[in-house]
Amino acid sequence: MTQATYNGVLNLAAGAFLLAAVLIVWRRELRAIVGLLAWQGIALAAIPLTEGIYKHDAALIVVGVIVLLLRAVALPLLLIRAVGTEPHERRESTPLVNTTTSLLITAGLTVLAYAVTRPIIALDPSPATRAVPATFAVILIAVFVMVSRRRALSQAVGFMMLDNGIAATAFLITAGVPLIVELGASLDVMFAVLVLGLLTGHMRRTFGGTDLDQLRELRG
Amino acid sequence: MNATIGLAGHTYLTYLATALQVLAVIVGAPFIVGGMRQVRARLEGRAGGGIGQPWRDLHKQLRKQQVTPQGTTVVFGFAPAVVAGTALLIAAILPLIALGSPLDPAADLFGVVGLLFLGTVALTLAGLDTGTAFGGMGSSREITIAALVEPTILLAVFALSVPGRSANLAAIVSATADNPGHLVSPGSLLAFVALAIVIIAETGRLPVDNPSTHLELTMIHEAMVLEYAGPRLALVEWASGMRLTVLLGLLANLFLPWGVAGADPSVLAILIGFVAITVKVAVLAGLLAAGEVFIAKLRYFRIPELLAGSFLLALLAVTASYFFATPTN
Amino acid sequence: MSLLLLVPIGAPLVAAALAAVLGWRRLTSSVTVLAALCILISGVILGFNHGSGVRFAIANLFRADALSITMLIVIGTVGTLATWASIGYIDAELTHGHTDARGAKLYGVLVPIFLAAMASAVLANNIGVMWVAIEATTVATAFLVGHRRTRAALEATWKYVVICSVGIALAFLGTVLLYFASLHAGASSGDALNIDVLLAHASQLDPAVTRLAAGLLLLGYGAKAGLVPFHTWLADAHSQAPAPVSALMSGVLLSVAFYALLRVKSVVDLAVGTGFLRTGLIIVGLLTLLIAASLLVVQTDFKRMLAYSSMENMGLVAVAAAAGTKLAIAALLLHVLAHGIAKTLVFLGSGQLQAAHDSTRISDVTGVLARSRMVGVTFLVGLAILLGLPPFAMFASELSISRALAGAGLEWVLGAALLFVVIAFAALVRNGSRMLLGPPDAGSPAITVPRSVGAALVTGVILSLVLGLTVGPLLELFQTAATLLGGTR
Repeated sequence: MTQATYNGVLNLAAGAFLLAAVLIVWRRELRAIVGLLAWQGIALAAIPLTEGIYKHDAALIVVGVIVLLLRAVALPLLLIRAVGTEPHERRESTPLVNTTTSLLITAGLTVLAYAVTRPIIALDPSPATRAVPATFAVILIAVFVMVSRRRALSQAVGFMMLDNGIAATAFLITAGVPLIVELGASLDVMFAVLVLGLLTGHMRRTFGGTDLDQLRELRG
Repeated sequence: MNATIGLAGHTYLTYLATALQVLAVIVGAPFIVGGMRQVRARLEGRAGGGIGQPWRDLHKQLRKQQVTPQGTTVVFGFAPAVVAGTALLIAAILPLIALGSPLDPAADLFGVVGLLFLGTVALTLAGLDTGTAFGGMGSSREITIAALVEPTILLAVFALSVPGRSANLAAIVSATADNPGHLVSPGSLLAFVALAIVIIAETGRLPVDNPSTHLELTMIHEAMVLEYAGPRLALVEWASGMRLTVLLGLLANLFLPWGVAGADPSVLAILIGFVAITVKVAVLAGLLAAGEVFIAKLRYFRIPELLAGSFLLALLAVTASYFFATPTN
Repeated sequence: MSLLLLVPIGAPLVAAALAAVLGWRRLTSSVTVLAALCILISGVILGFNHGSGVRFAIANLFRADALSITMLIVIGTVGTLATWASIGYIDAELTHGHTDARGAKLYGVLVPIFLAAMASAVLANNIGVMWVAIEATTVATAFLVGHRRTRAALEATWKYVVICSVGIALAFLGTVLLYFASLHAGASSGDALNIDVLLAHASQLDPAVTRLAAGLLLLGYGAKAGLVPFHTWLADAHSQAPAPVSALMSGVLLSVAFYALLRVKSVVDLAVGTGFLRTGLIIVGLLTLLIAASLLVVQTDFKRMLAYSSMENMGLVAVAAAAGTKLAIAALLLHVLAHGIAKTLVFLGSGQLQAAHDSTRISDVTGVLARSRMVGVTFLVGLAILLGLPPFAMFASELSISRALAGAGLEWVLGAALLFVVIAFAALVRNGSRMLLGPPDAGSPAITVPRSVGAALVTGVILSLVLGLTVGPLLELFQTAATLLGGTR
């Protein structure tokens, strides 16, 4: 793999990563959103895989395959199961911020991410760190998605996106943190999603739906 | 990239190329429109009116009597000329057949976008000038769309200009021709999607506006020109066709720049360029028409969502181009 | 001796495994209490033997210095009291049908895992391992909060998991950035996150990246510690959880999360100077105090009231950490220990009140002192400690924190903090007196106290009295910890 191909693929992966995040803000159907999350997982896995192939590092390739299986296959499957079968459950109800404004806020957050990550690029101006603003933008967009959605599942997707963004940033900056931490992080993500999935099921049984606006009892 | 394209020393061949460009747009625009209608008709199982039908319509309208509604001002009268004039000027500026147009020093992207917007504004004011309800409705919708479309065009083409470091359109096209690898970068791909969406919005095609609708309440562009008849209507229709053609040509040459004659072309190069642009625009128009068969029109209040999304994509394209600059640039 | 470091983690894990196999019964619940006691005892032994040095174990993965030993003692004390009380609490719940065998077994497995995770967090030498442990506490407590399976408990669990997961994710990003800075400061990739390595390279860490990392870590671990702006889960989770779990979460988990912040602070202060985190902690601490005090005034639910009191104390601890002097840190540690025991007392008592009245509204509960001497007196003692009355330890700690703030030149911060503390004081006194003093309403149900809960309550009162009258050998431990954290003066 040449340097130019490495740069190109890395840029493409980071770009697709950010694009998936933007489309998640744009679309409203829950199944479409979970599908986009799977695509984002593929883009995420491409980063350690590319780095592993370029640097001939087998450990990175293994990590990339694990990430691919976990975040592009297993976790979206878990989330899809939690999507209800009723038609009215399939769509996100009107988000707290309408789509046009959400998209413009996303534009603002992207610019903010570029501004905030300048010291990182200054410290290490390699092709990998130059893609960090895109993944950082995904983190900010994910926090925005979690704050502005009403359905429990959309919040879970937002949390997964947050985790994807942080993992991508970690891969780009450091070619993975020490293995034990990455393992711990992946396991915790798995547990968190299991918990969220189970809770969504509980919620549907207790509240008859997963609209978070119904969670209004605890106040003050 | 060098900025020496278009400096003093134009040969008469570049003038020839530009004239050929303008003539091609004038003559070819109704054929493009007719071709699109024919493709749609065939795909929908109808026989269609033939590619030459828009020319026949223009001929018919030109022979009709000039009718001016009472209460309109010079704005109503001049608007068609302004729209047609700006379209022709854009056709002369854009690097469609050859790169070295004599108008090149003025041919940066801001100029082109400004001219497009001038045409839009002229027609919008004409729609308001008629004083009818439909005219006003069409104008307000058109300007809402234009408000979101113009920044997006600027950003999308700006994203493409970042690798070449020049906002001159000819420079952008030749930079892309020299480095085809740039086309696969995130910036270019995003810019392509954004530009495609705004061209659809700007020229009033589905899913933003249905050009063949007869339901006034769903119209955007057609509602503004409801009161036009006779030669002025012919001019308006023609200008719309020309705008569509030049925008498709811009899209084609920005992303598929092969075949464009260089700054100092030979007659053969000009002919090749002419054939190339004709083929490219025809193919793009055919694809657009085929796509339209499968899309329904968006409800009007969903259009700002689509345009905000394309604006965001264009912004991402700009940031991607800036920050993904490779060391081997 | 280094194997002693593994006991606090291993013992609870053994208890958890036993509970997973055998379910909830007297044997497994007693083993859990023993495991918590092991944590306390190993903390005490390490405390007697530590000198002023640091002890490492297993390839520098774990460390035990004065600060970790202090936290071990806190975890051990509160853990022992809470698990002791759990025996009677869960048995009572099973009898009354509030939970079933499966729920009790889940409780019995998750609580020791929770204790093991907290012990790992304070014993970790690697910031990444510390992060994993704190994330594990979120996962373990998620189902503990929802133990009762009511609508309110479900809502509390959702908020808790979502907000704390966001916080912990941000903390992970901060950890990654710190790793990045550490690599570029010359550390090797295997131990770039080790605390001793970070301290050694601290002066070479890139300031801008470290500031970004510190901000993210403050936000992320602050979320787990109940600090603004990610504090909204605290009242819900702590009020809906079963009483012993609330005691553990309020008394210890918040402090463990703050411990993580203290470790980060020691590194960041060396890298970018004390100003950055001092400003951050002051802003966050004062805002937390403000919000906690305001919400305490309007409370109608006594468990939420206690949760907001925890938030208020964490705000005070944050402000003390901002001062950063030796006195401030030592006072902070004493405050954490005393607060842990006090919260255990009040939460266990409130658990019995909730069991008796089947409600947690303040207006429903009256004349507790008259109705039950055990619950009434211990609740009174607990409230007295929380209010900062002498002769209990929090009087000394709050006084020392005030002196430290004044000494560090933060008089205006001290003024604001005291104002909020006074507001909280008034609210607690009003609600507490309404609940405890005076004659009970007619028809108030009898308050029963299971034996183990009563034993835990009495032990807690005795411990608080001892701690209040004499800090004893702990004083030297606190001071060593303060010096280790880079406190000057």
